[in-house]
Amino acid sequence: MRRKLAVCAVLALAAMLAAGWAWAARVGERAPGFTATDSNGKVHTLSEYAGKYVVLEWTNRDCPFTRKHYESGNMQALQRKWTSRGVIWLTVASSAPGAQGYVTATDENAYLAKSGAAPTAVLLDAAGTLGHLYDAKTTPHMFVINPQGILIYDGAIDDRPTTDTADVAGAKNYVSLALEEAMAGKAVSVSTSRPYGCGVKYGN
Amino acid sequence: MIAAENSLRPGRMLWAGVLFRLDSGWHIYWQNPGDSGEPPKIRWVLPQGFQAGAVEWPRPIRLGSGSVIDYGYEGQVLLMAPLRIPAALDDSAPATIGAEVKYIVCREICIPGEAQLTLAIPAAKDSSRHFSQWRELFERTRAQWPQAAPRGWKISARSQGGNFILTMRGEAPPRDVAFFPLDANVIENSARQILASSGAGIQLTLRKSDQLSKPVATLRGVLVLDGTKAYQISVPIAPR
Repeated sequence: MRRKLAVCAVLALAAMLAAGWAWAARVGERAPGFTATDSNGKVHTLSEYAGKYVVLEWTNRDCPFTRKHYESGNMQALQRKWTSRGVIWLTVASSAPGAQGYVTATDENAYLAKSGAAPTAVLLDAAGTLGHLYDAKTTPHMFVINPQGILIYDGAIDDRPTTDTADVAGAKNYVSLALEEAMAGKAVSVSTSRPYGCGVKYGN
Repeated sequence: MIAAENSLRPGRMLWAGVLFRLDSGWHIYWQNPGDSGEPPKIRWVLPQGFQAGAVEWPRPIRLGSGSVIDYGYEGQVLLMAPLRIPAALDDSAPATIGAEVKYIVCREICIPGEAQLTLAIPAAKDSSRHFSQWRELFERTRAQWPQAAPRGWKISARSQGGNFILTMRGEAPPRDVAFFPLDANVIENSARQILASSGAGIQLTLRKSDQLSKPVATLRGVLVLDGTKAYQISVPIAPR
């Protein structure tokens, strides 16, 4: 009987995975745990960052929406600002091999040096596992997790859904807003927004 | 940029629009682009006294596959708006209607674009309408606009667990129904919309967006029946 139940549970889980809603990340709930490898071969788990704020940033360096934030220096500045305040900033590349934005570790490290990007690490997710786990839709798509492991922001980087670098100045940055408010012990005023950008180039 | 008429009739309305002709495989986006992309933005640059109304969006199609689903257009699409021509029209020279268009066009990759468009149109010499060569395209596009839902329809919506259930009675049950939400973050764009028909009507199950954190009062969007008929709906959602 117990075995039968276990089989049922596994089947149900498989069905949920197939339907793509097993652990959809939801604001206010525990952020799904993960294990992923960065561009230096180092393995990161969400659980090792318990007690810290974690930002997840989906990227595709050739997507014009992503380029807006790197060519303006906005993303690098955010990464520096928040990592200097103890935030773990994980950039995630979920483009499949052959798709735009796919990067090898060597590529990515060269790009990091050239662009002056300063995340804690870049997670290479060509299989899309982490992307699907968080249901990342666009590049950029931003998530903020609090020290208790609760997802406190899911959405766009800011309130200007354009590809124009001129729109960075004056935009309301939702990631900074969420971090500032949460660190000040306040409720996050904008906890979700429609992420804007190119679709994540998943392989499936 | 094109216009439906070749001359400007003082005090009347002129339909003008931006015609997108997309190569095979490329698309632009509807007013709610879905999971990715952005709709084209048109800023009219008009002579003194002219006024532009809102852009009318033809019914969109569902684009993409897997977990990222967008709403937009492929092939050819005309985004038009009504322009109010002032009654006191300076007829000494043709008026220049301008539009600044910002758009993003995507296939596997996305390319942003910008265009400054102008069209010079002379004032009408008489009160009759002089249609342009584009008249038929304007008419065909108009036929693709979502219409108000027929009065005889009974549409209701309710919230049920992780879904919204849209119920519609009064139409011979269509074989295929697609709902395009006007608002972002209300339904999960990539979820399959499940249609159930009975003799009296249809029921469409729409999965709520994972990003939906507050209750939604109204379900707004476009219902496309059998890929051809499109209706605007705005239905209060009964809580549960």
